[in-house]
Amino acid sequence: MPEAMRRTEAAGVVAVIVMLVGLPLLLWWWRAVALPHRYPTGSTIIALTAVADGGVWTQEEVIGLNYWRTAPTRTGDIPLAQGNHVVLRLRSADLLHSFAIPILRLGPVEVPAGHTVEMQFDANRAGVLTFLCWQVCSPEHGSLRGRFLVKAADGDAAW
Amino acid sequence: MATANASRATVPVDLLERPWRFDVFARWPVLKQLVRLRSFQFLVILPNLFMFYFFLIAAVYGTPVGNRNIIIVFVWILWWFLLIALLVPLASRVWCTICPLPFFGDWVQRRAVIRVRPGKSPGTENQFFGLHKRWPKRLSNIWLQNFGFLLLATFSALLVTRPIVSAVVFGILFAVATGLALVYRLRTFCNYVCPISGFLSLYSMTSAIELRSVDKNECLKCKSKACIRGSEKGWACPWNVYMGKLDRNNYCGLCFECVKSCPNDNISLFVRPFATSDVAMRGYDEVWKASIMLVLAFTYSIVLLGPWGRLKDWANVSEARNWGGFAMFGGGQALLALVIFPALYYVSIRLAKWYGRADAVSTRDLFLQYAYMLVPMGLLAWIAFSVPLLMVNGSYIISVASDPMGWGMNLFGTAEFPWRPLWPEWVPFVQVPILLTGFYYGVRSINKVGTALFPDRDQRFRTLVPPTALLLGVTLVFLRLFIG
Repeated sequence: MPEAMRRTEAAGVVAVIVMLVGLPLLLWWWRAVALPHRYPTGSTIIALTAVADGGVWTQEEVIGLNYWRTAPTRTGDIPLAQGNHVVLRLRSADLLHSFAIPILRLGPVEVPAGHTVEMQFDANRAGVLTFLCWQVCSPEHGSLRGRFLVKAADGDAAW
Repeated sequence: MATANASRATVPVDLLERPWRFDVFARWPVLKQLVRLRSFQFLVILPNLFMFYFFLIAAVYGTPVGNRNIIIVFVWILWWFLLIALLVPLASRVWCTICPLPFFGDWVQRRAVIRVRPGKSPGTENQFFGLHKRWPKRLSNIWLQNFGFLLLATFSALLVTRPIVSAVVFGILFAVATGLALVYRLRTFCNYVCPISGFLSLYSMTSAIELRSVDKNECLKCKSKACIRGSEKGWACPWNVYMGKLDRNNYCGLCFECVKSCPNDNISLFVRPFATSDVAMRGYDEVWKASIMLVLAFTYSIVLLGPWGRLKDWANVSEARNWGGFAMFGGGQALLALVIFPALYYVSIRLAKWYGRADAVSTRDLFLQYAYMLVPMGLLAWIAFSVPLLMVNGSYIISVASDPMGWGMNLFGTAEFPWRPLWPEWVPFVQVPILLTGFYYGVRSINKVGTALFPDRDQRFRTLVPPTALLLGVTLVFLRLFIG
């Protein structure tokens, strides 16, 4: 086999391997490195996904691989420290939801199915911040709620 | 070839009047130089392989919402439309040129992604790896593809809405293609198993291009038969096609290996008129394929475009969970495609024989010969069904291109582009001319076959009446669906 063809073949094999390995790495890099750099340093990034079946806000990933076989776990109280800059990445795994934190007069924002919607706020006020789905989305809409627990900066548990 | 053991038609294609053809490679030699590059197919498959790999990752790790996941939007809206409405009618099986599904199978079978291995493997002048067995003769037809496509179509509501289901199906196709390449020789998967290949083979008959010998006599004189046996310049035809006998597009995957290996520089790409060249059906498997495709265009139009909610619920078992209804839907669809419509067509052929007093032609031969009318009709019905899907759902392509996995990317700044149907009020005005074009080409094709079969004009006319009436009935049913 001529040397030129040997090199072409080797280049072809390398191109395939680079593609097979490089694409997942590229996607991982976007999620783990590039995305957090979008936000101010020190931000607390929280991903919340709304699932109509069961009326759940979850911090678990609801993706193609798992949505059909596992019921996502309802998120527990989410701890924050007073003064945190919080970035919420809100998703819907099924249909149109919305999100609001009434006590902060934040929202409501629509969270359409399959979209990722961002919301940012500063947790300046210690205490319990209830969040919920703001529009009737499904029979279990009433269960689509959760809480942030903002711990006071001076160490007092305001709640 | 896929129908090597099928019953032969009474009208050899050579006896049919040949339409004009235009030699593309003679006019633009640079295209020929391009496809003769050893790396040509690799270079066109690699980007496609990259895309499919990305689609599979997106299906697994991306959003489960179909219209926000690239695998659903790009495969079942964009790719399907391009394939059925543009690639097949205009460029035959050019999809097979760039299809990534057999890539890994070819790789393990050839132990090469670009270069050729001269050598000896049974029936070829190339060195292949794997068991290199012969595919069973009784499966050397497109029946497996027929049943496979019908099965996939039955679960299409799941397939086209659930990313993970699409990923599993494509993953299985990748695995089967690779596994079969290890055991059987050449592209057994593409020739006999791939459900996509089945309908491509049928509808490529209508295509406006063909890859053929420039001079068939040159092929008959050729000693090496390098097109089918391979050489140091090109692999043996993966589709096991001998160019000296190739007279239809059905089983040519346009890999262009024969262009590379032909020692006489006798293979070229030709442009030809649409739906008027390959008008001979060669086996019952092909006729049933035509029936299945036509019936599926009908049932899809009912389920996806029609107003009948109960039928939609039956088909969409993943949402409605009505397994009894789903069984009725799937069973009814199969019955219509495999029994009822072929029976109607058979009756029309019996009537044609009786009314035309066509005793010299057997019912079987007439059944095979006139069946081509279902091909342009079916293809255009599929296009008429697919165009509104793109018009109504095409805007998803713009938003998903920016955020292909629903992760919140915004690559091109269009992630929040709203869903906006494109002139939905014009849908029937687009569908009707497309459908009538299918009817026109269907009638024209059986008239062409009839001319070769029945020199007597009156007899020909009489034999054409019943199948044409059936075709007209099909057209009217579709018109009823499309415009109410």
